[in-house]
Amino acid sequence: MVVKIKNLFKYFDTAPAVNGVSLDIRQGERLVILGHSGCGKTTLLRMIAGFVVPDKGSITIDGLLAAKDGKSVIEPENRQIGMVFQDLALWPHMSVYKNLEFGLAAKKISKNERNERISLILEKVQLSEFSNSFPSNLSGGQQQRVALARAIVMRPKILLMDEPLSNLDYDLNSMLRKEILKLQEETGITMLYVTHDRNEAFSLATRIIVMKHGAIQKIGSVNEIKMFFKY
Amino acid sequence: MSKKLTILITIFLFIVIGLVPVIAMFVKSLFVGGHFSLESYSLLFKSRQQWHLLFNSLFLAGSTTFITVLLGVPLGILFGKTDLPGKKIFIILFVIPLVIPSYILAIAWFYCLGRSGIVSGLFGREIAVVTLNFLFGFSGTLFVLVSICLPVVIIFTITYLRMINPKLEEAAKLSGQWFFVLRKISIPIIAPGIFLSALIVFILALGEFGVPSSLRFDVFPVESFIQFSAFYDFNAATASAMPLGLIILFILVAERLFLRKKTTQMTIAKESILKISLGKAKPFLFIAVCVFTCITVVVPLAILVKKSFVLWAYKEAFIGSIDSIIRSLLYASAGATLIVVFGFFLGYLLEHRTFRFSYAADSIAIFLFALPGTIIGIGLITLWNTRATNFIYASAVIILFGYIAKYTALSTRFMAVTFSQVSRSMEEAAQILEVGWIKRVWGILVPLVRKGLISTWLVVFIFCLRDLDITMIVYPPAHDTLAVRIFTLMANSPEEIIAALCVIMALITLLPLFILGLVTIKRW
Repeated sequence: MVVKIKNLFKYFDTAPAVNGVSLDIRQGERLVILGHSGCGKTTLLRMIAGFVVPDKGSITIDGLLAAKDGKSVIEPENRQIGMVFQDLALWPHMSVYKNLEFGLAAKKISKNERNERISLILEKVQLSEFSNSFPSNLSGGQQQRVALARAIVMRPKILLMDEPLSNLDYDLNSMLRKEILKLQEETGITMLYVTHDRNEAFSLATRIIVMKHGAIQKIGSVNEIKMFFKY
Repeated sequence: MSKKLTILITIFLFIVIGLVPVIAMFVKSLFVGGHFSLESYSLLFKSRQQWHLLFNSLFLAGSTTFITVLLGVPLGILFGKTDLPGKKIFIILFVIPLVIPSYILAIAWFYCLGRSGIVSGLFGREIAVVTLNFLFGFSGTLFVLVSICLPVVIIFTITYLRMINPKLEEAAKLSGQWFFVLRKISIPIIAPGIFLSALIVFILALGEFGVPSSLRFDVFPVESFIQFSAFYDFNAATASAMPLGLIILFILVAERLFLRKKTTQMTIAKESILKISLGKAKPFLFIAVCVFTCITVVVPLAILVKKSFVLWAYKEAFIGSIDSIIRSLLYASAGATLIVVFGFFLGYLLEHRTFRFSYAADSIAIFLFALPGTIIGIGLITLWNTRATNFIYASAVIILFGYIAKYTALSTRFMAVTFSQVSRSMEEAAQILEVGWIKRVWGILVPLVRKGLISTWLVVFIFCLRDLDITMIVYPPAHDTLAVRIFTLMANSPEEIIAALCVIMALITLLPLFILGLVTIKRW
């Protein structure tokens, strides 16, 4: 088990955003959280990342208690998690290379290894020739790949993705979905993907969680969830 | 160092530098000859003079606020919403009185309306008696304070007009003329912003020291200063400062309870704002604004330039005051840099609400900003005038502490707004990549908010440079700044030298404003 979530609650004002969620995320799986806007899926993701502290319940990552009952035990920077944000959060003042290098340098990884890792990942996402470009000079699809590469280059235990394809047109969306799948299969990384789009969920997931009003409505395989929705 | 520790240290230092002196001053005023006594306060309430001062202070602040809003809102609408020509130049001209030391305008008007002023030269001494009666006392102080505070209301009106969703006005425009739309839709929507600007003007006018003391109108800040520096009566000075402190505390609590959400919920509209075409009224309004700008801004500045227009005056001014000029620049630079550091972390705290008491730190900063500088100055002396802390009391450090106490609120608010423009995921993305707090600050936050940092530094630099209230009280021997030097030389130096010093002061204050314009020009 990479992540174990037990009876998690989060309240904003008095309304529960996450309402008693318990969940195990298994090694190497592609788990998709599916739900409408405001169902609590992003809050759940941000609690796993460590940006939001749960009011009740616990989160265990790789056997270590990360947060429990209103207290963050492990800070986000120490949870060994990679994340692709909805707005990508590419640092505009840094080139593609620098965006990828920043985290590695902070971790005091040697220059040679940094170069090696960055070259490898840029090759994987087909952006080798853009390493000196700045995010503003890249297309939407290229920016998505940089965000993905930046998350993976750190070799995290789990990759969190918060609706990263929601702002893209249909063609680019389906092309990038295939690339994400390919990359996940090549690296074997555990992936937790949040979306409101059923097609995206069905094409990416090995397992799907349907959330409603902050609680889990259904957990199952792609086929089980398709049946659930009578898809 | 962790994020929480950095912010806690910042808050601790800010409280020690800013709030503790004010508390120490209050506590000390409760003891007479080592025994607890409310004598100073009972004298305060019994004295008719104190009630007279309270009335003067409130009446001056209230009148300034009323007239400023009455003039500033229409001017803000003209500059922010219409096709009036030369709007940007008008805005710049109106801002000048706010950024130069306040008493400079009072000096300029004295050179115009005084006994040996321009009016006296042109129309004879009899007329000068009338103009002098107007200038010295309530009317003159009110006139100068309105000129100084007007840009606050103008800028707030323009800014809040930019936040109106144009669709709301478009919908109203389908059923009425612009006057109707402004009266029924636009002004009610921006009313919280106008009210906030009125509060700021009220607080600025209530704590103003330079203009009332130059034009001899008795108000509390002047009384505190006199009690402290002329009669060395600490308890009387503190007691006269307390009513203002209480009034300001009351205003801030009211603002926090009733206005805070309404003024912070608005954001700049993404769509371009709807413009009003002035049509045939354009030339008349243009002439009216030109005349008004000339009276309030151009004429006093032109008088100063004319008065100083002799070479020897500038030579004498430079020779006699070069040390003060250099000190002004040095202290303002050091003050602005320290205040920006405080503002960076407190602004971050305010925007990200890292702790539950985020608003408390902001409230303290706002309270200190609103408090008259004379009170902060007396507080600083109370706390640091000991043998053990003489290195602070007898050096420029006490001036810097005064600047930090008074102006950190500005940098906190500016930086909070700047941080609100940066997506939180920018920092979170670094955090999740195992990048520590200090590296995130230097590698991500500082580069992303650098324009905001530069703008904040320049604004704070201007405020430190023009500061008179605090510096006048706390400056140690041989540490006077140019603002203080002009104020102390005013009574017994040739008018030409004072005018030359005022022009130099105005120029070195306006230079950063010019740079600020260049820095922010792309944003506008």
